[in-house]
Amino acid sequence: MVDVTQTPVERGAIATLWTEANTIQKIAALIGLALVLLAVLAPLIAPFDPLKQSLIARLRPPVGFERHKPGFWLGTDELGRDVLSRSLYGLRLTLMLALLGASIGLLLGGTLGLVAGLRRGWTEDAIMGAVDLQIAVPFTLIALLILSIFGSTLPVMVAVLGIAGWEQYARIVRAEVRRITELPFIEAARASGGPPRYIALTHVLPNIVSPLVVQFTLALSNIVILESTLSFLGLGVQPPTATLGSMVGYGRDYMPTAPWMVIVPALMIILLTFSVQILGDWLRDRADVRLRSR
Amino acid sequence: MIAYILRTLIKMCVTLFVIITLVFFATRLSGSPMETFLGEGLTAEDRELMIAYFGLDQSIWQQYLGYLRGIVEGNYGLSFLERRPVADIVAERVGPSLQLLASSVLLTVAVAIPLGVLAALYRESWVGSAIMALAFVGYAVPNFVIATFMVLVFAFMWNLLPVVGNGSWAHFIMPTIAMSGVLIAALTRFTRNAMLDVLGQDFMRTARAKGLPETVVILKHGLRNAGVTVLSVLGLQIAGLAAAGNVVVESIFSWPGIGELLVQSAITRDYPVLQFGVIAVSLAVVVINALTDIAYAVADPRIRLAKA
Amino acid sequence: MKALLTTTAALACLATGALAQQITVGAANVSSYLDPGRDHSNVGSQFYYNTFDTLIGKNHDSIEADWQPALATEWTMIDPLTMELKLREGVTFQNGEDMTADDVVFSLNRMYQATFPPYQVRSKDRLANFAEAIKVDDYTVQVKVEREEPLWETLLNLQQVMIIPEDYTKALSGDPQVAEDGDFEAFSLAPVGTGPYAVSEFVPGEKVVYTRYDGFWGDKAPLEQATVIRIPETASRITALKTGEADIITNVAPDQLGLIDADANLKTEGSATALFHVMIMNVNHPALEDPRIRRALSLAIDRDTLNEALWYGKAIVPSTHTMAEMGALHQPDLVTFEYDPAEAKRLLDAAGYDGTEITFDTDPVYYTNGLLAAQAIVEMWSEVGVKGRVNTTSTWSGSSPDLMVRNWSNPMYFADPFGSFGVMWAPNGPSEGEGRFNTDAEYAEIWDRFRFSSDVEARKAAYAELMERIKDNPPVLPLYRPYESWAMRKGVNWAPKPGHIPYVLDFRAGSISLADS
Repeated sequence: MVDVTQTPVERGAIATLWTEANTIQKIAALIGLALVLLAVLAPLIAPFDPLKQSLIARLRPPVGFERHKPGFWLGTDELGRDVLSRSLYGLRLTLMLALLGASIGLLLGGTLGLVAGLRRGWTEDAIMGAVDLQIAVPFTLIALLILSIFGSTLPVMVAVLGIAGWEQYARIVRAEVRRITELPFIEAARASGGPPRYIALTHVLPNIVSPLVVQFTLALSNIVILESTLSFLGLGVQPPTATLGSMVGYGRDYMPTAPWMVIVPALMIILLTFSVQILGDWLRDRADVRLRSR
Repeated sequence: MIAYILRTLIKMCVTLFVIITLVFFATRLSGSPMETFLGEGLTAEDRELMIAYFGLDQSIWQQYLGYLRGIVEGNYGLSFLERRPVADIVAERVGPSLQLLASSVLLTVAVAIPLGVLAALYRESWVGSAIMALAFVGYAVPNFVIATFMVLVFAFMWNLLPVVGNGSWAHFIMPTIAMSGVLIAALTRFTRNAMLDVLGQDFMRTARAKGLPETVVILKHGLRNAGVTVLSVLGLQIAGLAAAGNVVVESIFSWPGIGELLVQSAITRDYPVLQFGVIAVSLAVVVINALTDIAYAVADPRIRLAKA
Repeated sequence: MKALLTTTAALACLATGALAQQITVGAANVSSYLDPGRDHSNVGSQFYYNTFDTLIGKNHDSIEADWQPALATEWTMIDPLTMELKLREGVTFQNGEDMTADDVVFSLNRMYQATFPPYQVRSKDRLANFAEAIKVDDYTVQVKVEREEPLWETLLNLQQVMIIPEDYTKALSGDPQVAEDGDFEAFSLAPVGTGPYAVSEFVPGEKVVYTRYDGFWGDKAPLEQATVIRIPETASRITALKTGEADIITNVAPDQLGLIDADANLKTEGSATALFHVMIMNVNHPALEDPRIRRALSLAIDRDTLNEALWYGKAIVPSTHTMAEMGALHQPDLVTFEYDPAEAKRLLDAAGYDGTEITFDTDPVYYTNGLLAAQAIVEMWSEVGVKGRVNTTSTWSGSSPDLMVRNWSNPMYFADPFGSFGVMWAPNGPSEGEGRFNTDAEYAEIWDRFRFSSDVEARKAAYAELMERIKDNPPVLPLYRPYESWAMRKGVNWAPKPGHIPYVLDFRAGSISLADS
């Protein structure tokens, strides 16, 4: 039977992980690492202030094209700002938003899912009802309403991105809690008067780490895409602040005339979500293998 | 089973009621429709006049109760902007959205299931990895990037495909692909995983032991059993992604669909249209979810037993 | 496969355009209702001129006030407060009804003595002086005003007083003998007028189809059919022009013009529209109460650079709130608004500006280049030491007490300063009504002289006085007249005419022809 005390993801095994990985997974890991480095080092490596405008040097193409402006390797945008610097800072903000949003979702959804799984009764009904609600109403609309009620400031945006995925965590955690608490020995622990919180901590948490990590990686990329969709609708992070999503969203009108404004941030979005997804799937596969081998 | 269906129905009604209530109050908190409706430049006096004209001078509770009564009586109100029944407006938009949804689901099933099966069968080889990598890319590209890129290449540069509206089958090609990207990616992964689960099970070994050709084993036994999981995932994905995910595609291809209508009415604060639109969409999602649940339970007796 | 697709695309083109006497227009926006009386939006202005007529017409080839007979053939003052108009005989509405004095009186009084709230709102700001219209006989009407009116023809040429059929409208809902709110609501979904094109199909917000009306009293319409469809995305609109799905497209941003002009099959037409993009400042916000701060915010903006950078120098930067279309009342010599960063700094110092953050609200998409201009303006502010921040919002914040600065537009609703500044900045007008502009008895007195003086020089002098007031205590800065562009196939001969209000899609005789059909 399942050994519930064993932690599915072992710590300090990065070297083992690396040797077990296939080529695509290795590439993904390297891309992810590179992106994170670029984001962290953005203030050091960005050649220009990402907000600095130059109205006389708008829409200049990248190096190697006619009318290129030296120093602006990836060209300038519609206000003459450096596309490279904006992309780097955009990546940084996008990563921060995604991490914050996914963490809020994880905390909120995980807690509610845990409560729903342990408490049962009307508490569970209410929480799962809220999950159903969130699934039923298109999230773009929820976001739109929240942003127009509270204004689209950065904290509100983080909150919106956090709310975006909580229901997935809640479902996963609740299902897992229910599955585990129905196992005979937990029933026994419960019958002998063990407090629910104790049961939760000792038996449930270790088992849901793996699916939660997988969901977390999925949520990261979903949030990046959601933020870019909101920007497309003009509801994303406020200009002139750049995120990858807002660069693509506001830059799309320039696709036929100045595609460099869009291509670099779009590529970064794709690479970022791609690597995060591969890594998430890799984690899941490993967890699955472990489960199967038992 | 009947008890199960009844319970599902009651849950559906409660969910819808809460949605109606939340949307009603959220729209009213989100801003006033006045300026949008008359262009800019309303005097204070004018605003009073128009507020009364739209019936927004009643207390919010009166408005709420009036709205609930209207729903029960089948009277969902008039659009502030167009002054015609919102049910007509929403009904006009549902058709094109459903068409696009249907073509996307067809494309998704046609592409994702074979890919998923292949990925499972060739799990260890580069074929499997390549398919999965492709699926991840599909998941990673925002749909408006695919859409804008296709418009640029196939319409703007090569002049092959039309970009406006839903007039002919050619109009469906680009929006369908843009809508399906994410769906294909998701379904490929789920199909692969479901197949992997099934391939290792006893009845597959039995079938092989009986000497059936491998193709038959996979298609007849493997796919049919994996199909149950795939079906439920597809249902969820359609419900979730289709309702929310096509605002952008509809805008780019000037597709007269419901997603665009909802966002427009939220921006213009056309409360009646927004409210009814949200109710219609959530009703659809709730029903699809419920049907998926029931289909899931019916299709796979093991699950019913396991649940009981 | 490729051949097949090409054929299909070609067929699609044939179906929508290219054929003789038919065009398709791809517009950024299509109206949600079509009623010239209640509408004054920039979106709506596109649509009315093809379908409706006014009593007094205008030569739109000229920016001069060159009045022409239209549904009225002659008009005379019979006393200082009454004009008598002779109506054209033999005019029919597109539904076949004859147009008589009853229809004219009905159309005018629906505005002059409005009971339908949207009409009430619209008539007050510009038609308040008009008391009533009276039928004399089947082809003669009289129009009465409260006070002597210097702008008779102008205000009988308005979109809002276009003529609609009485019997048809009244019969649309409820009692066919009575004009109810429901009639006017239904009319705006099924509009009928006397113009050269009937609206044969209307999908609100999506599509307007005009079909030639053969019973039109004037010159025959050049097109059999014109379809206007909504294509909200800029890139899609341009692409639709390239694929042949549209023959004309609207709202082409200046940055896209080069792309279209580079295509041998396409061309662009444009004009500096009779409309100002303006920056408004809330005079009642605590941080902006001191006029010196607002003057500094205005003086810090280099509008010529905005024009050069964002509009390729094609917009018009005004020295005061005036337009060439206003004829005798055009006063380009007045200097109300300038660029002077040194003076801006001095004023900020004098006012003791403490670094308070000033927010500039803008809709993300509504005004062409609006978001770009907002970002550039905030940058220009920072050069004189003002801390600014752009706040994009799709909500109209102009009536909020928290409003600091935002963009807006002051269109020329009709060719007179009253039709632009005069409507927007009237005592108790929309700006004061929203609480971001104050007037006093003195301002009201000057405004009244400007509005009602029968002597042109007296009106000019009064307007100059108003501009002085605005200069000393500014609530607004007109940025520029934006250069609005349309793009089309080479074979389409169309351009915006200088005598129209902004955005009119005029497909009447003499306004459009198709070279290749």
